[in-house]
Amino acid sequence: MQKLQILADSAKYDVSCSSSGSSRAANGRMGNGHMAGICHSWSADGRCVSLLKVLFTNKCVYNCEYCVNRRTNDFPRASFEPDELARLTVEFYRRNYIEGLFLSSAVEVSPDYTAERILKCLELLRYEYGFAGYIHAKIIPGVSPEILHRIGLVADRLSVNIEMPSSKSLAAFAPQKNPKKIFAPMRQITNTLIETNSLKGPGTMFKGQNLNDSANYLGPSGLSGGGTGTTLPAVRGSAGRGLSGRKRGSFAAAGQTTQMIIGAGGESDASILATSENLYRTFKMKRVYYSAYIPVVDSPILPDKSTAPPLKREHRIYQADWLLRFYGFTVKELFRSGGENLDPDLDPKVTWALRNLDQFPIEVNRASYEQLMRIPGIGHTSAMRIIRQRRFAAVRFDDLKKMGVVIKRAKYFVLCCGRYYGDRSFAPETIRNSLLQMESGLQLSMFDDNWKRIEEGERREKLSAAGVI
Amino acid sequence: MLDYLYDETFEGLLTCVYHHYYTDRAAGIYPRDDYQPTMLNGFMEVETDQDKADRVYNAIGNKISNYALRLIYRAFLSGIQGKENVILNYILLGFRTGPSVGSLHAVKEVKELEDIARKVGIEQERMLQFVRFEVMETGEPGSPQILYAEVEPDHDVLELAAHHFAERFSHDPLIIHDTGRAKAVVAYEHNWYVTDFDGRHMPDGSELVISEDERNYQDLWRTYFDHIAIKERINPRCQRNHMPVRYWKHLTEVNLP
Repeated sequence: MQKLQILADSAKYDVSCSSSGSSRAANGRMGNGHMAGICHSWSADGRCVSLLKVLFTNKCVYNCEYCVNRRTNDFPRASFEPDELARLTVEFYRRNYIEGLFLSSAVEVSPDYTAERILKCLELLRYEYGFAGYIHAKIIPGVSPEILHRIGLVADRLSVNIEMPSSKSLAAFAPQKNPKKIFAPMRQITNTLIETNSLKGPGTMFKGQNLNDSANYLGPSGLSGGGTGTTLPAVRGSAGRGLSGRKRGSFAAAGQTTQMIIGAGGESDASILATSENLYRTFKMKRVYYSAYIPVVDSPILPDKSTAPPLKREHRIYQADWLLRFYGFTVKELFRSGGENLDPDLDPKVTWALRNLDQFPIEVNRASYEQLMRIPGIGHTSAMRIIRQRRFAAVRFDDLKKMGVVIKRAKYFVLCCGRYYGDRSFAPETIRNSLLQMESGLQLSMFDDNWKRIEEGERREKLSAAGVI
Repeated sequence: MLDYLYDETFEGLLTCVYHHYYTDRAAGIYPRDDYQPTMLNGFMEVETDQDKADRVYNAIGNKISNYALRLIYRAFLSGIQGKENVILNYILLGFRTGPSVGSLHAVKEVKELEDIARKVGIEQERMLQFVRFEVMETGEPGSPQILYAEVEPDHDVLELAAHHFAERFSHDPLIIHDTGRAKAVVAYEHNWYVTDFDGRHMPDGSELVISEDERNYQDLWRTYFDHIAIKERINPRCQRNHMPVRYWKHLTEVNLP
């Protein structure tokens, strides 16, 4: 039990616990995949618990400045045995506590040593226990292509952490990692997904395009269209054993993701999002996750320990990320004529709309789907409903609310049957002010401002809690 | 104009719709057991008739759509008072307008029904999320372990969640017990059925006892749950928004052993 405490404590700063994107029939002895993903619980911090998120070990030879598991941090250490963790996963799963396993790890001895133990655990889980639930495996940069490939064959989703939004901060905070080593496994994963014809890409960014084309193949430089790199046989002998129905050679069906830390280095929102956009365009990743930096260790080069995690900033960046993946925006557009950072008080779509007021108001009865998606307060569902309903009858202003449009935002930007329903003047400042007035009530409910300075003693206690109890 | 009283079965409700067209217009449809007669309308207790129900059922499928049929059934499963009249209004409108009724999201009758159906859908999803099984044994040596869970959903969503669990845990016999409605889903090897159920007694009379490891794994789960939260980001309101407190009673992780 102590082990679970320690390794859950060490893993909790990993973001992403999504369990979606891969659907699997119950062809093992236990479990299946649910396309939409299921969250089973919400922890006290309001983050969902979908997967059993643990580190395989938190004994680390690296010394990354920001990380709670860095070598020089005096902190209780533990490792799982492969069978122990497999068994725990299965027992949690059959009680419906979790959707699957999110296995990450510190680097014990060497990347290959750790990855091999992870692989052993995952293969046990899939083949011996017949587990057909969701597995998300973290790939440690520097792991050999053969082991990565085998992990991909048992996992639903793979992720390689990019850690920092720029190579400058990476060099400063994680000196043992370098961009080359991080991009190599990312490239391999994308290429294998192309080979198995299963690259899907982020959101609706590449809607209607065939991504599984040799033109998207990533050469050694990380750019598209290069020659065929070193590839591995798509199907290995061990795949398919034990799970009769599991498609042979199915590789990371839910794709690839990554995560980076916000607010540790000095990057602007624009450069963070530019990095994400690059990752989406180059590696066709499903998602980039962001985590607000939480000071867990003393470091002279990182923000002070009393710094509150930039939760609001993280939130705005996530919103902008969504605009990239689902709403057809580009980073360039979002930051055109207006600073390097997102407006902390308004969501990025509203900010963009206010800066481009010449394109508004938009008549909902005539606008294309793409135009509708750019109106604040309208999303995919309501846009589709508008399009469906206006085939039968004109959409009136009163209808919008019933169709799920967020009126208090949308009313400033739409025309309904030629009429404008916002305030008297159609000027950026007026609209901004009325929106701010309205939001001030809302925002508070999203983030209880209950961050308080945690005293040094309390922090020590927290860090050692796992070992004491 | 009559108030029709029915026996709270889906067939009963459809029979009332039949009588609306062939006997007398319905002022409203109400469950038989807690009906308060009013001065305004007479009332009639409708005897459930399978043939009449079938005719209405098929007519909805053919003249409106199968989508409408599914929506209506979902709404029927809700525990909301007055759902019968919402369903009636939707069916009447549906027979007038045909299949396109499904896209009239802004029309009052449609919106009311969709809202109810959505609530049922949400609760169905909550079942997939919040059912917590305990591994039980019947006490006899060599007998298989049984997954047992207690739930108290607002809407009668057991059967909507049954398929999911029957598929997922096909190798374990399982029982999901709706304590409020005294019924349960019993599933094993991809098959399931809903039955009356009053407690931890199996049909053959044997009693379920908690398995040896169960407490241990519950403790592990609680430990994990407590430790996965990031202290700097504690946000109880966000937690409760996603995980309403009315479900907490049956959630292992938030209850003390």
